[in-house]
Amino acid sequence: MKLQNFFKLLFFLLFFLLSLNSVAKESTEDRVKKLTLELRCMTCQNQSVSDSDSDFAKDISKIVEEKFKDGLSEKEIKIFLTDRYGEYILLKPYFNSKNLLLWLFPFVLVIASMFVFFKKIKKK
Amino acid sequence: MISLIGFFALCFSTIFSFTLLIPVSIFKINIKYFILIFRLSTFLVCISFISLIFAYVSSDFTNFNVFQNSHSDKPLIYKITGAWGNHEGSILLWICMISLYGFFYSLISKSANEFKILVLKFQSALFIIFALFIILTSNPFLVNSVFVEEGLGLNPILQDPALAIHPPMLYLGYVGFSLVFSLAIASLFRNNLDQDWINEARTWSMISWGFLTAGIALGSYWAYYELGWGGWWFWDPVENISLMPWIAGLALVHSLLMIRGEQAIEKWIVFLAILCFSLSILGTFLVRSGILTSVHSFASDASRGLFILLIFFLTTGFGFLIFLIKTPSKKDDLHLLLINKTSALIINNILMMITVFTILLGTIYPIIIEVLTNKRISVGGPYFNSTVLPILLPGFLLMSIAPVLSWKTNQIKKFRIYVICFLILSLIVSLQSYFTSFNTWGFIGLILGSWIIIASIISIMIRHRFSFTIKYITSINSFIAHIGVGVMIIGVTFSSIYQKEYNFNIEVGDKVSLENEILKFNDMQIIEEKNYQSLKANISIKKKNGNIIYIKPGKNYYPVSKMITTEAGIYHDWFKDIYITLGSENNNIWFIRVLINPLVSFIWLGVIIMVFSSAIAVIKK
Repeated sequence: MKLQNFFKLLFFLLFFLLSLNSVAKESTEDRVKKLTLELRCMTCQNQSVSDSDSDFAKDISKIVEEKFKDGLSEKEIKIFLTDRYGEYILLKPYFNSKNLLLWLFPFVLVIASMFVFFKKIKKK
Repeated sequence: MISLIGFFALCFSTIFSFTLLIPVSIFKINIKYFILIFRLSTFLVCISFISLIFAYVSSDFTNFNVFQNSHSDKPLIYKITGAWGNHEGSILLWICMISLYGFFYSLISKSANEFKILVLKFQSALFIIFALFIILTSNPFLVNSVFVEEGLGLNPILQDPALAIHPPMLYLGYVGFSLVFSLAIASLFRNNLDQDWINEARTWSMISWGFLTAGIALGSYWAYYELGWGGWWFWDPVENISLMPWIAGLALVHSLLMIRGEQAIEKWIVFLAILCFSLSILGTFLVRSGILTSVHSFASDASRGLFILLIFFLTTGFGFLIFLIKTPSKKDDLHLLLINKTSALIINNILMMITVFTILLGTIYPIIIEVLTNKRISVGGPYFNSTVLPILLPGFLLMSIAPVLSWKTNQIKKFRIYVICFLILSLIVSLQSYFTSFNTWGFIGLILGSWIIIASIISIMIRHRFSFTIKYITSINSFIAHIGVGVMIIGVTFSSIYQKEYNFNIEVGDKVSLENEILKFNDMQIIEEKNYQSLKANISIKKKNGNIIYIKPGKNYYPVSKMITTEAGIYHDWFKDIYITLGSENNNIWFIRVLINPLVSFIWLGVIIMVFSSAIAVIKK
């Protein structure tokens, strides 16, 4: 096997594995943990709701758990929380026009540099 | 009195440094005297710093800085470290190190005299800029205008052994890049086509990077046991800021190790050297100005921030300007193949740069948005995890085989062995994750970490005959470093993904069961220490094999600053840490949080291996 093919295979494998993440099933407890890790404890300093044991964090965790039990999706809970507390509560900001630069910048850079790099190699 | 000596020493040191900047055309100075003056300046700034320490040790509250940050009740060690536990003192330490790096450079360097003088001139210029910053905005020797008998005390969370040496280590790293910066700029000025400066830059950037690694790790270790949040990395702005020069420094070190006389790479090295120090200053600015909210915001002041911003633009602007004007334009083609060593180096550098800029963007994006739209947003851990990790992934993969790639061709010796081993490893890891709970990132992390280790070991076995000599260790040094990274990846993966959390509300005497262990809450103790009161829960854990271990999480109350700190109780084991924090109390029922963190020790082990390997690289020459 050639080195290139080997690497191609590897990347394909990784990509496949990463996409598996989206179909995995989780319990409510896991979902609460996952979501609260993405929420800022507004009364602490740079701590997530999940990591904190402040009253605010406990309240939010309770709300999140109840909402999940009511059948709301992660997205709906996020919207509910940002309506109340503002987008500041999300440690992972929404993908919207305001945050376009934030989200696209790294991946555009990766793609652009890959493009340039392969062009250089092709030229040889 | 002692403060006065300190202040005058600082002023004279600055004045001496000024005399070094007089252009040769006006006054030609003999190299001997030049170096003598430089060393005298170093000596004076050290005197200045020592007198500050002395003021702290003797609890001299006529010094305003000591009054604000110290207390006579503190143990001696925290009196000493209190000297750099505040903004003014830490910047004094910073310039002390700028000067010391120049001093040691003047001792060790074997470069031509003119080049040496040029490097020391830039170093003095940097020294002067920061010395002025101290004298004008952050003087640690100010006199206290009122007479007091007692100081206000040092922030209790800073009273900790790891944090006592964390700032000096970190600064040795940050400031070390100032010398690399000076070297790079000097090489541009001299159109230095000989490769001497590359060798020197290699040594000094290796030293700086090693210290920076140790400094960051110490801070991280401190956060792990002192903050009591159960993690060791929080993507806190200040952590990000230290990570940026670290990654840029990593790219620099790799480029320096791999350069074989290519002009293009030399140019790139100069660029990285300037970038590294710029990022260090930018970090200082962002922390000191108080723009970012962080656990480090103990020293913030707008005017200081502005001054540092000025310094940042001055040095960075100057650096990059010289870079643009003076770089040699001679072009030679790089020998790129898919995949040989040169292209691996370039991919690794590109990925690291993208990572640096992503972290930078994520860290300052909330500020930009707030200025533009007046809305507050947060960019935290989850953002960085979902951008930085995928970007770094191909780099990690490449890393496993990079040292054995060849320069000229895209073949690897005995490639088949690597493929077979990789397939066997994947099979084992797949089986392992099939029988335990499957997690994608856990799977990838485990396979990546162990593959890096295995590939490095295979390479060592194929290429080097084992012997017990230093020469042998230096010849396999790159593999050792990469094994360190592999070990760390495994530690990071396990401790973050397979962490288990238990929360209990229990009374004294209660027993609860964890997965394999039985936890018993024995009693509560109150211990009076010299400068604080400590409340400790005595918890015993009976392990499966019958052994009993005791863990004592607690809270400390510092009467001087009226602050309570949490003290996590941690039981370290090679394979897992049992991490307990004590929460609030309600009718004698205590809230305790138990975290089982698997393989945390691997993280620290990995760091130690990396630092060890950078030390070897410094010796190697």
